[in-house]
Amino acid sequence: MNIIVCYKPTPDASDIVVRADGSISVERAEWILSPFDLQAVEAGMRLAEAAGGKVMALSVGPRQISNSKLKKDMLSRGPDELYLVVDDALAGADTAVTARVLTQAVRKMGSFDLILFGEGSADLYFQQVGLQVGELLCIPTLNAISKIDLEDGRLVVERSLEDEIEVLETSMPAALSVTTDIALPRLPSLKEILKASKKPVTEWTLTDIDVQGGTVKAHSEIVAVQAPPHVERKKVVLEGKPAEAVQSLVDALQKEGIL
Amino acid sequence: MAEFSEIWVFSEKPSFTAELIGGGRSLLPAVGGRLTAVIYGSREKAEEAIQYGADRVLWLENPLGSEVPVENIVPTLARQIEDQKPRLVLIGTTRRGRAVAGRLAARLGTTVITDVNQLTYQDGELLARHMIFGGGAVRLEKPRGETILATAGLGVFVSPGLGHPAGGDIQKIELVEPEWQVTLRDRKVRMAAPVNLVAARKIVCVGRGVGKKEDLSLVEDLARALNAEIACTRPIAEGLNWLPRERYIGVSGAQVRPDLYVGVGVSGQVQHTVGMSMSRMVVAINKDANAPIFSQTDYSLVGDLYTLVPLLSEALKNRKP
Repeated sequence: MNIIVCYKPTPDASDIVVRADGSISVERAEWILSPFDLQAVEAGMRLAEAAGGKVMALSVGPRQISNSKLKKDMLSRGPDELYLVVDDALAGADTAVTARVLTQAVRKMGSFDLILFGEGSADLYFQQVGLQVGELLCIPTLNAISKIDLEDGRLVVERSLEDEIEVLETSMPAALSVTTDIALPRLPSLKEILKASKKPVTEWTLTDIDVQGGTVKAHSEIVAVQAPPHVERKKVVLEGKPAEAVQSLVDALQKEGIL
Repeated sequence: MAEFSEIWVFSEKPSFTAELIGGGRSLLPAVGGRLTAVIYGSREKAEEAIQYGADRVLWLENPLGSEVPVENIVPTLARQIEDQKPRLVLIGTTRRGRAVAGRLAARLGTTVITDVNQLTYQDGELLARHMIFGGGAVRLEKPRGETILATAGLGVFVSPGLGHPAGGDIQKIELVEPEWQVTLRDRKVRMAAPVNLVAARKIVCVGRGVGKKEDLSLVEDLARALNAEIACTRPIAEGLNWLPRERYIGVSGAQVRPDLYVGVGVSGQVQHTVGMSMSRMVVAINKDANAPIFSQTDYSLVGDLYTLVPLLSEALKNRKP
């Protein structure tokens, strides 16, 4: 069973800098793997370990995604091979662009049975790319998958919707976006960390995978990126013995007309 | 412009369709067109959309009812959009809604702006506002293209109510057969009482500081004393599964603005606070004086919640009106 897991390294949100004018900068942020993607990798690893086969990690983006620390971090989570499409034209790519480049890369990688995606990316969190890639490949495409089993060469999956869980059966190949609780990611063992640097890494440019310039044209114009609106708060810390502090709170809420 | 000026709305949930109709109508004066609701299911649902204020309904009958997944509408919807080229298609953000939106975008060669908090028209162009970086930043963007796809969560728009005359223009559309089908083996209903956090005036929110599931009873007592709804942070609903997912507040969950928010053992990660930062009054109870939540509260109780919460419930019950 050949499983492709797509992932997206992103700037660490905790390194966001708010400028004086309220706009934000991620220029100095460290790039990290997102927990959403690690859950998808773990789901892929468990399937491959149970059914045999290999796991290939795939990402597309600007040069930051190919730093050796990120590559090693991903491979130490278990995948057998790593594929990257690196081009600075992919910085800030929208979901449609990302999905088209991923689709071209998947075609170039050859035969596969399953493509997995995390719930969403840690930066934009549109939760769209897996759905778009599956649709572009014209294969069964589902989101919100919280459990994956194999039965006689078919996938039996659970899909966690707001008010029900569907148990669905589908043929392969398929594209699945998984939920955050599908599988708790393993911590890389020392053995896996040592193995990671010996695993094959393939890096392509857009030209290598026959993506034309027009494909990476943005579908929207970013007008502004700002810090969220700030609401002024009273910041009163209620001191004293617990019973007194609690009584002060009740009095304050009553005075404010909240109760 | 005229041929591009329609706004379409789609959701598999009727109450959501009503909100989207309200949202679509609020944009219509700037667009100058008409509002079309796409309805999959019974004739009654189509008629209801007219009464909520849709000018027209494109109705796809679903004689098999709930045995056929809603997402089967994707090829049909894509063909209608390609033929009629609406300016904007608004889809309700449920997990099914996301799937419909993403698959449509791939077919139409466009992108989707998901989870918009606000949609406005400026100088003939649509401007969408939404959160990125788990609520750490707000992005404003102008989507381009013939047809713009956007999804919006519950509570972003207001339902106009069933006030419009029945009848109206209901056009039946033909199904375009999907290229692939999945088989529905079973469905398990989640044991969750319906909750509408968006409408709640008071909310008590459970965070990771609450150590055990049994301890939720302390919070339930407090909620009863305050006449508040119970909400939680994401790990409580996903991972620990102590409370249903409908009850978590945050960037991917509910966005609330009650009169009173009380955080119990909530540390105040931005992914959560983005969903409650517009509350009128914020109270937090946490033993860690350095918890980020305390920089965003009106009243703070620093200490052991197992001592403070029962005292607070008691004081509220005993207070003189």
